[in-house]
Amino acid sequence: MSERPSDLATVDAALGAEAPLPRDNGELVFEEPWQGRALGMAVVALNRLGVPWADFRRHLANAIAARPTNRDDSPATAYYTAWLNALETLLAERGLID
Amino acid sequence: MSEGHGHHHPRPASAVELRARALEALLAERGLVSTDAIDAVVELYENDVGPQNGAKVVARAWLDEAYRERLLEDAVPAIAELGFGGAEGDNMVVVANTPTVHHMVVCTLCSCYPWPVLGLPPIWYKSPPYRARAVSEPRAVLREFGLELGDDVEIRVWDSSAEVRYLVLPMRPQGTDGWSEDELAAIVTRDCMIGTAAPTANQPAIR
Repeated sequence: MSERPSDLATVDAALGAEAPLPRDNGELVFEEPWQGRALGMAVVALNRLGVPWADFRRHLANAIAARPTNRDDSPATAYYTAWLNALETLLAERGLID
Repeated sequence: MSEGHGHHHPRPASAVELRARALEALLAERGLVSTDAIDAVVELYENDVGPQNGAKVVARAWLDEAYRERLLEDAVPAIAELGFGGAEGDNMVVVANTPTVHHMVVCTLCSCYPWPVLGLPPIWYKSPPYRARAVSEPRAVLREFGLELGDDVEIRVWDSSAEVRYLVLPMRPQGTDGWSEDELAAIVTRDCMIGTAAPTANQPAIR
């Protein structure tokens, strides 16, 4: 467990090219406020729990792969929906939520 | 947030939004997150992206001739060697200043910018006057930035686009012999890599 949450560069590096955060010309894209909060709560919770980003990335990649492709969600909505799924799975795996 | 969804026109929360709220509430209950901590992270992430990655690339190129050659030949993999990069499809090209050629970068159409190495573009980079005048009177624009170039120095202006984003490799200033990579990176400012400034050995690092 580190004292301060990961900075953005750390998160970018951890997510890699596999599941990069949605961006437009460098700026993070949040189409709705919940998307930013989904990002923020994962960053804060992972830090408190001392969970490595590699674990989260694995769940995120799975959640993205599992997502139906026929939905007409925008890329950012699809991404952060998968992000939320990944966070829920990770927390459930550790018995922190049902 | 997209247009048309301002707070004057509330709409029902979507299912995923409700899930996000429920999860946040649950995590808050467990003491794992707080609203303030989340707000702080989001604000930091939205604003705190700087040019330090680009400065490291430049410093490495100054110290390592083979790296410099790879960087000028094919910038994206060379930049990736240092762990920096963007989403797929972001092509970056590095152009090197010489005693007789000075490069500067603009995006005449909008504000395309090599963000994986430079962070977010400064306000002036997005302004219509810079976008127009960088092309029509680059020497005058550089003078306003405090960069006076001799008449024998040719200025080449590169127009960034969504397909190709340019980064300037400035000349290593005199008086930096024996400096470490970190020391060199500290004098490479954002503007040096846009081409509107030149690094100097005694310049205070602006971060």
